[in-house]
Order: sequence, then C-alpha cells, then structure tokens
Amino acid sequence: MSRPLRPLVALLVAAALLGGVFARVDLRADMADLLPQGVSLSQRLVLDTLREGAAATLVLIGIEGAPEPELARLARDLAARLAASGAFRLVADGSAGADPAALEPLFRYRYLLAPVPPEAFAAPGLHAALPGLLAGLGSSAAPLVKRYGLADPPGVFRTVLAAWAGEGRLRRSHGAWFAPDRPAGQPRALLLAQTAGGGLDSGGAALATIRTAFAALSHGTALGTPRLLLAGPPVFAAEAAAAMRADAHRLTLISALSVLALLLWRFRSPAVLAVVLIPLLASLAAAALAVQLAFGFVHVVTLGFGMTMLGVTVDYPVLLIGHRKQGEAQAGTLRRIGPAFALAVLCAALGLTSMLGSAFPGLAQLGLFALTGVVTAAAVTRFALAPLIVAAGLAPVPLRAPERLLRIERLRRGRLWALVPVGAALGLLAGPHGLKLETDLARLSPVPPAALALDAELRAELGAPDMGEILLVPGPDLDSVLAAEEALMPRIAGLEAAGRIAPVALAARLLPSQATQRARQAALPDAATLAAAVSGAIAGTPFRAAAFAPFEADVAASRALVPLQPQDLNPFLAARLAPLVLKVGGSRAGGSSEGERWFGVIAPASAADGAVLADALGATPGGPSGLMRLAVKATADALLAAYTAQAWRWLAGGGLAVLAALALFLRDPARVAGVLGAIAAAILLTLAVLAAAGVRLTLFHLVALQLMAGVGLDYALFFARRQLDAEERARTLSTLALCNAMTLATFGVLALSRTPVLRGIGATVTVGALAAMVFAFLFAGERPATISLSERTQDDPWPR
Amino acid sequence: MARLAAVPARHARFVEEKHLAALATPIEAHGELVYRRPAYLEKITTAPAPERLVVDGATLRFEHDGRVETFDLTARPELAALVEAVRGTLAGDLAGLGASYAVALAGDEGAWRLSLTPRTVALARLLRLVAVEGHGAEPERIDIIEADGDTARMRITPLP
Repeated sequence: MSRPLRPLVALLVAAALLGGVFARVDLRADMADLLPQGVSLSQRLVLDTLREGAAATLVLIGIEGAPEPELARLARDLAARLAASGAFRLVADGSAGADPAALEPLFRYRYLLAPVPPEAFAAPGLHAALPGLLAGLGSSAAPLVKRYGLADPPGVFRTVLAAWAGEGRLRRSHGAWFAPDRPAGQPRALLLAQTAGGGLDSGGAALATIRTAFAALSHGTALGTPRLLLAGPPVFAAEAAAAMRADAHRLTLISALSVLALLLWRFRSPAVLAVVLIPLLASLAAAALAVQLAFGFVHVVTLGFGMTMLGVTVDYPVLLIGHRKQGEAQAGTLRRIGPAFALAVLCAALGLTSMLGSAFPGLAQLGLFALTGVVTAAAVTRFALAPLIVAAGLAPVPLRAPERLLRIERLRRGRLWALVPVGAALGLLAGPHGLKLETDLARLSPVPPAALALDAELRAELGAPDMGEILLVPGPDLDSVLAAEEALMPRIAGLEAAGRIAPVALAARLLPSQATQRARQAALPDAATLAAAVSGAIAGTPFRAAAFAPFEADVAASRALVPLQPQDLNPFLAARLAPLVLKVGGSRAGGSSEGERWFGVIAPASAADGAVLADALGATPGGPSGLMRLAVKATADALLAAYTAQAWRWLAGGGLAVLAALALFLRDPARVAGVLGAIAAAILLTLAVLAAAGVRLTLFHLVALQLMAGVGLDYALFFARRQLDAEERARTLSTLALCNAMTLATFGVLALSRTPVLRGIGATVTVGALAAMVFAFLFAGERPATISLSERTQDDPWPR
Repeated sequence: MARLAAVPARHARFVEEKHLAALATPIEAHGELVYRRPAYLEKITTAPAPERLVVDGATLRFEHDGRVETFDLTARPELAALVEAVRGTLAGDLAGLGASYAVALAGDEGAWRLSLTPRTVALARLLRLVAVEGHGAEPERIDIIEADGDTARMRITPLP
C-alpha cells in the first residue's frame, strides 16, 4: 500500500465503524426520556397522560391582516377544510357552537343540566318572564322565540348553552371568533384545532395541512394581506425540530468549511483532513456504543450536544501533527508533547466524570458520551495516528525565523496588566449584576421566545389555560369525579363572584352528576301544578294558555328522562367535555375496568389563580385520595433548580480532581498556579461577559463552560511545558493558535444559531476559548528574561 | 317583474301585523325598509322595540337590545330562502326565487300577485306561503304564512 493512501484507508475503517454502531443504536427523541423521575407515580401518570392528551395536541390558530368580514370568511372556510381533511379530531371556530343539531341534546336535557330556582316554575316567576317573550315575538327573532322561548320561559337553555359554549372573552362577529382587546383596525380571527394523532410526525403533517389550506384560501384575495399565526405544542415541536435541522445543516457546513480551510492552509496536505477526522469518527462510534450499552438507548439531544463537545477532539491530531518536525520519527514528537498531552486528556476525563453522577439523566448520558469520546479520541491519536502521520509524512510548514515569536513572547513581560480585566470581572460578578441561575424550565426550550410569546398571546385571547398549574379532582369513575366537583362548586363560585379568580371551567358545570340530575328531576313540578301556574301567570296578558303547551310537555318529559351520561354525548359535545376530565390507566375502549382512575381537571387562568384556588380548596401536591394540586411548571422548575445546583457541585468536584491531578503531575507550584490561573481567569471573564449580557446560566451553559475549560487546559498545559527551543515554542504557539481558530470557527458559527440553547453554548465557548488562549499564553508560558537572546535547549519537558 | 327589476333602489315605510297562535291579540310593528341593487336589504324597526336587520350579500346582521349578531346565510339555507323571498321579489329576480320556491304570478301590471311556495321539505317546515301583491313597479303588501299557521302581513308605502 502506498504510504499517502494509508490515512484514507484508516478513515474509511473509522467511518465504517461509526456507520456500524449507528445502525444498531436505539435513537430516541422523546424529551420525557431525558427528564428525571423525580415526581410521584400518580403525578407522573397524570403528566404523561396530559402530554399525550388534549393539551398537547391543541393548535391555536390566528388570522390577521385583513378586514373583519374577510378574516371571518377565511376562518370559516379554513375550519371547514380542516374538518374535512381528517387530520384533526376537532376544529372549533365561532360557527361550530351554533350548529342546532349538535346542541339539541342540551335543549332536551336543559332542566337536568342547569340549576333552576323552584320559583321559576311558579305563577309569579313565569309571569315575570312574559314581557321579554312578548318583545321577542314582536321582533325579527320571532321564529327563534317561538321555538326556544315559549318552550322555556325560565330561560334555562341559555344558562346551559353559556356553560357549554365556554367562549370566555371571545368576541363573535361575522360567524367567527375574534380576539378581544385588539388595537382598532387590527382584528384577529381565532380558531382551535386538535390534531388527530399524537407525536411529532402527525403534528407536522397537520400543520402542513393548515398552511396549505390557508394558502389556497387566501390566495388572490383583494382584501388586505391575510397572515396565518400558529401556536401550541404541536407547532413548537415541529418548529423546533425544523429550526434545529436547518441550523445543523447550514452551520455544520459553514464551520466544516472554515475548519478545512484552516487545516489546509497550515499543513498544505489533503491527507491531514483524513487524519484529523479519524479520531473524531472513532470517538463518536465508541461514545454512542458506550451510551447505548449503559442506558439502553441514545437520545438525539445527547447525540447532538455530544457531537458538538467531541468536535474539539480534532485538536488532538492537530496538536500531534503541529508539533512534528519535518521527517521526524514518532518517538521524538511524543517525547516533547507526550506528558502534556496525557495530562490534558486526564484532566478532561476527570472533569467529565463529574457529569456521570448527575441525577439528571440527560446530563449523565452526555457525560458518559463525552468521556468515552475524549478518551477514545486521545487513544486513537496517540496509538494509531502517531505512526500514521510519520508514514504519510505529515508535518506543518516550517516557520520562519523566531524573531516574530520572541516579539510576541515579550508581551508576557507586561502580563500583570491582564489581571486588570480579571479584577474587573470579579468585581462585576460580586456586584448586584452578578450571575443568575436560570430557574425557568421554559427558557431551556428550543422554542424561540417569539413563538412562546405568540402562544401566550393567543392563549390569553382564546381563554385557553396554559396548563402550568392544575387542580385534579380524583375519583374511581367519572360520575364520582363530577359529584366531587359539585361539592367544591359553591366555594369556587364564591371566589369567582368575589373577583378573586377568573372563572374556571369545570366538567360538573357542563354535565352534572347522575345524583344531581335526579334531584333536579324530582324538584320539577307535576303536570297539574305547572298547568295551574301557567294559567295563573298569563292572566291579564295577551298570551294564550296553548302557547306554553311545549313548555309543559318538555317539563313532563324531563321528569321521565334517564339522566344524561357522558357516553351518550354526541362527538361535538364529548369533545367539549374532554379537556376537563382525564382517565388514567384502564382500557382505552371505555367502560370501567381494573386500575382505572378518573380526574376532573381544573385549569385556572393563571398561576396566581391556581394558588388562590388550591389554598381555598385545601389541595395538596401529594395525596392520591384527596384533591391534588399539580404545579406542572413549578414542579419542573424546582426540579431543574435542584439539578442545576447539583450539577454545579459536581463540576466543583471535577475541578478539585483536576487540581489534584495537576499538582501530582506538574509538581512545580508556580507552574500549577500559572495553568490554574489562566483557566480561572478565562472562566471568570466568560462568566462576567455572560452576566454583563444579562444571560441567566442554564445547564447548557455549564456544559459549555466545562467544554471551554477543557480546551483552555489543553492550551495552558502545552504552554506550560518547560521552555524548549524557540523553534518548538513557535510550533506550539502556531499549533495552539490553529486549534483556537478552529474552535472559534466552530462555536462562533454556533453562536449564530436560531436555537437559544445552541446560541448560548456557541457564545460561551467562543468567548471562553478566546480568553483561555490569551490567558494561557500570558500566564502558563514562561516570562522571557529581560535580556535574553540566548536559547536554552531542553529535551526533557518536565522539571525534575 | 321586469319593471321591478328596473328599480335600482327603494326606500319605504312598512307596517307589519302579526297574528300568532300564542297570543290572543295581534302584534303591530312599524319602521322603514331600504333596498339597493343587487343584494342590500335593510329593515329598521322603530316600534314596538327598536331593531335593525341588514342583509348584504350572504351576511345577515341583526342588531337588537344593544347586541349585534351576524349570520352567514350560505351556512343557513332556510334563513337565506326567507330573506330571498323579500329581497328576490324587490330585485325582480324570478330565476333566483325559483331555486327555493314554486313561483306563480297572477293578475296584470295594474294589480299583480306573486305566490311563492317552498320547494324543499326543510323550508316547508318553516313556511307555507309567501304572497306579494302590488301594482306596476311597486310591491304593496307581503303576506307570510308560517308552517304553524301564524301569519305576518307587511304593508309597504314608498317614501320619497
């Protein structure tokens, strides 16, 4: 085999290895797999069901940018197309509530579904309703009054409809829903849709259906420029995936091209590209395999971040090649850089080991991935690449006279000045604008803040609760849940009436328990009593007794009805009730089965309302039997805070281990101080920059800091080697500059990402790596003597 | 009907008398009618209670008691047919009326009578007959007999 071909063959072997591993790895994308199991079993069951249930499949749709009638037309037509597409379980717009056929059962069961004061059926109560009816009969709405008014003088149907309509603050106009409180001349039509299936893929397809239908409907309209606004969990999932995918493609291409250009410029050989990739591919294969073996699956997020972290292992082969003299055997290069290289890898491994202990499964997986990858990349570089680069004859272009190097090194004479920005950083961090930890789990979301803001806006306009805090009313079956809610209703109504909470939707307000319906039946007057009351009421009015025959017939029929059961509801009404109740366990087919539990879901309009309600009703976070308070967001946020704090402690532990390793292997206290000082200064400066930019630290920043510290340690250890001849020092400086440039190219591009998490990591590592390079050069390297042009030659890199 | 179709806009007073089975006495209402070709109809009632009904194209707006309700007539064929009985007559649109009603025209230009009988079962559940009487280009009286026997008679007097 010709020698230049060997790197290519080795690269193909590494690529085949990676392909083989990835073909067998179980790759998972469910975020739930990354989250800790820190909540009680019943809470977890409920959370899981919610995640898959109604709330998770809800798409909020807004249309704006045209006059109201045109928006209403678009909303109605869009609703019709979506309903016909089959991709949605439910589409609700302002017109759906008015479908008389779907609402017919509510009319038939009106006297069972809503409370009626007994006096409404007595002569004075009925008499009081007559002027309104008379006015109605005189108006253009007379047909409706004849149909619904005369059959229901107490107006109970209106109460029932109001409860079931649940339109909250929505304004209805031109047969569509419109957002209330919009600026004049900027109306916004609103719709709700529930995707038929769960999961990312069906969500994406459903969104495509909405966009296509809207494009077709709004195409060529002369009235304004209608815009479609989409929000809700399915939108987030699809958008985040698309943004990350687009970012990944675009950014990977840019950073790969810049890294390739840098390598080609420095080494003038395409073979070096193959050599640099070999440890990277091998490390990815080993890392994925280790995680698969330890956890049984590899999460896509682990893979994404892990690949980012292992990206810096391209430094290893570059350090090796960059320090080789032209034509040198591998022993020579290894003697000069071996100890520093080994110590750098050891420290990186020790730092990453700290992540293994995290109780946050996502972080533990990432730690194992990175640890395995770093060790593999180092081993492959040391044992496979060292002979390979000699065989392929790879070495950097020889540098010119060391004069320039000496000029650069003279900068170290004034290195104490560099303590000024470090001191300033310390001052900033200690001050009132110091670092803050992110406690809001939502900020970790890959969803762009603008999308979250739109979601909050549409949710508020639609009156859809954000499910951040819910109360659960448990029961063995739905009817028990309804009865339990009825017991709470007086207190809830009291809070609403006092204005202490915004009105909440309750399943029992829509569908009363069987017992309540029977009690209402029993309270209805018999035929003779009612007939007497009617004739008493109409005395002296234009009304004939026959006018109220339908009313008397309906009351008589109501007394004989079998109470309305949930399973008797038509699909339209069932869909309305669905978000208010939750079934956990049991068979999905319905009917009561073993292990099945029901919950009434009370979703307050805000977290503050939730606190008031929970307080007034005595709800607790725990108990499986009593009323449960489930602070979805607060629970998740508290968990996040606990795990972030824990991760920082682990990081500190890792730092101590690194310190011990440095002390053990470097021995010289001055050198240890130089290396540590450089890293500490770089970390301080990075944190100060983040604090000054108002960034709150997340787990991802922690990962980024660790990455940056690892890179900085490489720099510092290579600068800290005992002073060698000027030629070797020049090689070190230019090789580390190349490594630094590659890191900056990779992470600087990442800082341009649209995904907040990637942007945070990119910015942190970019700032940190640059600072680490500067401080490592200044503090870890030796300060040149004031008068020294004579070069000491030293073959042994470590002092004895 | 051609004479009717030639009038671009109308403004008239109306007096409506309803005889309902529910009430022992008739209800009388009065107000104004506005029509503009091709599809704008407005009924402003001033007594007994003020209300305003505007049909423009396929949208019906109903204002009463300080509330505004809007209906899409394309989604409510029965309501659309009811509106069309009046609007189509004023427009002289025999073909349009023929879609929902069996149309019979009697008399001559001096005194004519247009009878509209529902063609569909759904419409027949609401209406038995709509009869319009008039002379020349002026409709004078619209009688509506509902399916349950309730009747409404509207007398129309043109305003300048």
